[in-house]
Amino acid sequence: MEIEATAEKLSKALNNVSRIATSKVTLPVLNNVLIKIKDKQVSLITTNLDMAIVDFLPVSNSKDGVITVPAKLLAEFVSNLPKDEKVKISSSGTKITVTAGKYSSTINGSPADDFPELPEIDEKSAVIFKIGTEEFKNGVGQVIIASSNDFNRPALTGVHFYTSDKSLFIVATDGYRLAKRKLVKNVQSEIKITIPSTSLQEVLRSITDDIEEIEISFNDDLIRFRLGELEIISKIIDAEYPNPEDFLPKTSEINLVVDRTDLIRVVKLASLFARHTTNDVITCEAKSPDTFSVHSIANEYGENDSSINTKTDKDGKISVTSRYLLDALNVISTPKISINFNDKSKNLSVIESALVLKEPNSEDYIHILMPVDDN
Amino acid sequence: MYNAWENALAEIEQKISSSNFSTWFQDTSLISTDDGHIIIGVKNSFFVKQLRSKFLDVIEESLKNTGIEVQDIDFKIETKSKSKVRPREITSTPTPIKNKLPSMNSLKSPKNQKTGLNSKYTIDNFVVGSNNDLALAAAKSIINNPGTSYNPFFLYGGSGLGKTHLVQAIGNEILKNHPDFKILYTPISDFYADFVDSVMKGKGKDFNNKFRSLDVLIIDDFQLIVNKEKSQEEFFNIFNNLHQLDKQIIVTSDRLPSEIKTVDERMANRLTWAGAFDLQLPKFEDKCAILRSKADLLGAEIEDEAIEYIAENVNTNIRDLEGELNTILLMSDVRGLTPLELINNGSVNVSHQTKLRPTTAKRIVDKVAKYYNLTTTELKSKSRVAHIKNSRQVAMFLLKSELSMSTPKIAAEVGVKDHSTVIHGIKKIEQDLKLNFILRDQIAEIKEKIYD
Repeated sequence: MEIEATAEKLSKALNNVSRIATSKVTLPVLNNVLIKIKDKQVSLITTNLDMAIVDFLPVSNSKDGVITVPAKLLAEFVSNLPKDEKVKISSSGTKITVTAGKYSSTINGSPADDFPELPEIDEKSAVIFKIGTEEFKNGVGQVIIASSNDFNRPALTGVHFYTSDKSLFIVATDGYRLAKRKLVKNVQSEIKITIPSTSLQEVLRSITDDIEEIEISFNDDLIRFRLGELEIISKIIDAEYPNPEDFLPKTSEINLVVDRTDLIRVVKLASLFARHTTNDVITCEAKSPDTFSVHSIANEYGENDSSINTKTDKDGKISVTSRYLLDALNVISTPKISINFNDKSKNLSVIESALVLKEPNSEDYIHILMPVDDN
Repeated sequence: MYNAWENALAEIEQKISSSNFSTWFQDTSLISTDDGHIIIGVKNSFFVKQLRSKFLDVIEESLKNTGIEVQDIDFKIETKSKSKVRPREITSTPTPIKNKLPSMNSLKSPKNQKTGLNSKYTIDNFVVGSNNDLALAAAKSIINNPGTSYNPFFLYGGSGLGKTHLVQAIGNEILKNHPDFKILYTPISDFYADFVDSVMKGKGKDFNNKFRSLDVLIIDDFQLIVNKEKSQEEFFNIFNNLHQLDKQIIVTSDRLPSEIKTVDERMANRLTWAGAFDLQLPKFEDKCAILRSKADLLGAEIEDEAIEYIAENVNTNIRDLEGELNTILLMSDVRGLTPLELINNGSVNVSHQTKLRPTTAKRIVDKVAKYYNLTTTELKSKSRVAHIKNSRQVAMFLLKSELSMSTPKIAAEVGVKDHSTVIHGIKKIEQDLKLNFILRDQIAEIKEKIYD
């Protein structure tokens, strides 16, 4: 086995794959990257058994062979080399020698037989579609924050992709908040899958400016993302996803539009006090004709009351978790934000009394926060 | 069907490396076996691919050995969700309860019905240290030549030090080498229940035959032997019988037979014919090794400093050690902090958890004196009579262990002048406790009285 590439290219490829090579697992070979060269095609592969990352590294010179070596060690070694240095990796037995000009090291590896074989997408039965990198990155980034990390509810640890009325939507919820985005219009095929958030996070991290399009293909139990020379393969979450429509309040009586920067400021100010209470609870209040205020109390530290100007014809209050509200505000990028809710004194059901955030005059993005008791 | 898979797993576990087993076979299940069409449930497609390409032969063979017909084997992906999430379940309390406990409990422990052995106990996962290397060496020699060198094999030590693990491992290893051997593991209490039951049903002969045809008999918790002449006689007979036929007998107890009140001398002598091996409290380094191996087995991440902290603070036995480790790992799961962070921020306090129940120095001294039929004044006197001196030392020991009192204070409580006398006294009791089982019982009884 032998490859030659510039330190810059090699380092980028190794950094792409080495992130998921973990030490937490019982199988030590999963710390390693599999370097495989077949018919002059080089691939660097890592897996954590929920997903795998494959980098098809273009190289100037190579000899066929396979070996596995500790991924993080190799990645760190190469990343510390001068960028334009030519790096040569060659194997003998279960060792590799990495040489670059005056720098050289030998790294102990293990035979490629120990490395698990990766599942493959059946190209014939798979659904394949392409999506612009920008859209994908922004869209997924806006919903993924709402997904759960509670593995007792596996479905909620992913982002759900589904088609409805010829559009592709993505949605995520942890039971306390929900974010939903229309991703693509005019989609022909039916899609209904849940992708692990951890895998999507890897996809988001791997996106670089030079990639314009992501190719996504999936079948029943596996999904593959292709970004340039990189391929990310992940399991699909095999659990029923709750219907997102069931979470949306039917009507909200109080509707107002506020400036995003102003809103972030008052929520942050309030959260300074709210974080000293147990659940980061803040209370938002609409007061006709023109005030939206945020209030928080921390018994031992004091309290806060800030307001911003807006227009409202109804009065009402709602209490939410400031942390969740800030999370939502950070992913909505429009200069104005539309806020909708029902007054809590009406004692509606949890879903009906939720706080709904949207981009003004658009239904493309919806972020819902379940209300909390403020006492 | 579930049991069949457990048995097959037990066999697979022995055929492949433990890291492969715990990686690939954890969370698998047998979904169906209709007409030899086997369907196995696995976590995701990564597992399907690997099991199919590398382990198909092993699975097939093990299933066949458990008596299941195999035509073809297929895999199905199963997500183990506890409950389907329905939108109505939403609560308004924003405190998500994380609980990954299942991952800890998911280590399978297939128990073999016929032999009573639990295949999760193996020699490989028995952590060797200076506290047990002698017993382990003997165990290995038995595995290689059952019935010859150490027969009977008498193993003793405090609870939670690994007696059951070691003897079960011997049984499992012998079974591996000699699949045709008849092996029986039974706690002594079950042996009696069995005996009484068979006598009542008039099947005393069956009972006899069942035991006399054994190749290896493993009796656990021998100290619980009851003072019933008839059943002790029966055990004695079976023991002699097997021993004459050079069948391996393995007995565990928490103390030497001579220190068990209900055992007659004849029996006690027989049991320790081939010597008695003890498992001692692990030393600091051994404890660290045990914790590390346990953590690795669970696939959990824990810092060396955290392990050292636990090892330093748990001084009772291995079971408590593992219990503490589990608690900390669970807490770290729930809180999302690493074990060391938990320890540093004071969330975990091992040393004070089990001790320091409310009591007073006076109460301890009084109870000790009363237990040894002395007056408090006698105990506090300068008498050097062995009996009084000894009870004084016990009082010192308890003041230290129960109240963590300083040595000068203890000296004042028990009427000695010098705190070095106290240090010596405590050390002596600690030393004696390792070997003197009567003392161990006495101190346990006194403690009960103190907290009564």
